Amino acid sequence: MIEVSSLSKQYGTHLALDAVSFSAKQGEILGLLGPNGAGKTTTMRILTGYMPPSDGKAVVAGHDVSEESFEVRQKVGYLPERVPLYPEMTVEGYVTFWAKLRSVKKTKQAVEIALEKVDLIPRRKSLVRTLSKGLKQRLGLAQALVHDPQVLILDEPTIGIDPQQIIEIREQIRNLAQAHTVLFSTHILSEAEQICDRVVILQRGKLVAYGTPEALRKQLYPNDYLYVEIDAPQRDKQKVENLLSSLTGVDEITRLAGGFTIRAKKDADIRGKLVEKIVSAGYGLRELRPVAMTLEDIFLEIVGK
Amino acid sequence: MWTIFRREMAHYFTSPVSYLIAAAFYVLMGLYFNNDLTVSITVRAADPASVPLFLSFVMVFFAPLLTMRLIAEENREGTVELLLTAPVSDTAIVVGKFLSAWVFYSLLLAGTLVYPLVLVSLQIFPDLGIALSAYIGIWLYGGAALAVGVVFSAITDSQVMAAFLSMSFLLLMWLGDLAGNIVASFDLADLLRKLSLQGHYSTSFAVGLFRAEDVAYFAGIIVVALFITIRLLEMRRWR
Repeated sequence: MIEVSSLSKQYGTHLALDAVSFSAKQGEILGLLGPNGAGKTTTMRILTGYMPPSDGKAVVAGHDVSEESFEVRQKVGYLPERVPLYPEMTVEGYVTFWAKLRSVKKTKQAVEIALEKVDLIPRRKSLVRTLSKGLKQRLGLAQALVHDPQVLILDEPTIGIDPQQIIEIREQIRNLAQAHTVLFSTHILSEAEQICDRVVILQRGKLVAYGTPEALRKQLYPNDYLYVEIDAPQRDKQKVENLLSSLTGVDEITRLAGGFTIRAKKDADIRGKLVEKIVSAGYGLRELRPVAMTLEDIFLEIVGK
Repeated sequence: MWTIFRREMAHYFTSPVSYLIAAAFYVLMGLYFNNDLTVSITVRAADPASVPLFLSFVMVFFAPLLTMRLIAEENREGTVELLLTAPVSDTAIVVGKFLSAWVFYSLLLAGTLVYPLVLVSLQIFPDLGIALSAYIGIWLYGGAALAVGVVFSAITDSQVMAAFLSMSFLLLMWLGDLAGNIVASFDLADLLRKLSLQGHYSTSFAVGLFRAEDVAYFAGIIVVALFITIRLLEMRRWR
């Protein structure tokens, strides 16, 4: 659905996008991550046909964005970062306008469906300017999907709205992915982790990581991390630590306020032996859980380099 | 194109600003007509082209007010990004917007047709031929002024700036005659007059003279102005 190969964009002397390649399959949610100014919006603007790339190739829904811009624009739904609204129109009028502009047949029906999807039917007669920020965001989404596009491109769709609405928007994006391919950008990493099938991490115009959040985690953190809390008297703390480090497969131990974080060697499942050892030493086990690296950690690891 | 046109048209009819503009327009036209009517009792016969002639000056200020919004607002609100990624050509966007302004102006202008009717009903028999030519002329003239306004609306995201720039430009074009009066070279003066708005209206359409060169002049301004606007939109893609 989206096929990007060594895409570059140059503004004057500034290289905003440097030979970036990635792809997204039908029905996939692809997250575009990166700090501000990393080239996320530029990438999206190229894919929507707003501006041409300086170099490289981008194929969206089977059409080259440079050569068949019209076909691409027909098949893409776009929600720019600043939700573009006409405040003086009604909710229904606004969506109808975009439907007609994209030559949707059976406009009325399409508008109805789009408003239904974003739950705006009760406000259909309201003026756009009277909507709250979250509702405006949803209206922006309705506009992007009124022509039932194959590809949806959403630029930071959850920015500046309250947590409840963020959850709603995420929910909607996830539902949309069943029928559309979704490319969306964010800098909230937990968000990408929750809804993306795969992520692209950009930094200063370069692609620095690409894959499923799971694969990225594996690639960067091959080791397993465990957190243990042991029921032992305070004075035995050092003894416990020594006990833990004597386990085979343990790489490193960090002492925390309540318990320990253990970095285990790759693929060494030490949990069974750990429990055995602690219990046989006469201590109790309060907690034992794996520590998952969040995308946040991955991101900081990559971008911080 | 018609989708754009219809949206802009709806905007003219729902926005309070356009009603204010219309009100100011009719107050001015009414005052001027009344004045001309009063003069006609004692001094001279009523001029059937008086209102359109006055309008040729007033449009320097009114055309920018009608067009300042058209593209500047899209620039400011960011809707232009969505508009340019919709499957419509830049030409359709520009022409649709321009036509809406021209049609709205035409409706305003149609309202002033009441003045020749008043003259007829008062049994002052105006030369309706002159009135007709004056009206066709001012209609084209208005289209040209609006097209200039559209250009300036496209280069900025501020409506005030768009209005100011197009007023200044139109005023310069209107004053071309004056410049023609003070330059020494005959050829240059002639050229300046040929380029000025007044030169193609007050001495031709307004006196019942219907010349192809004047029609071509106004039509030419419209075409060139819209062409520039389309290029301006296109440029945004390459920035």
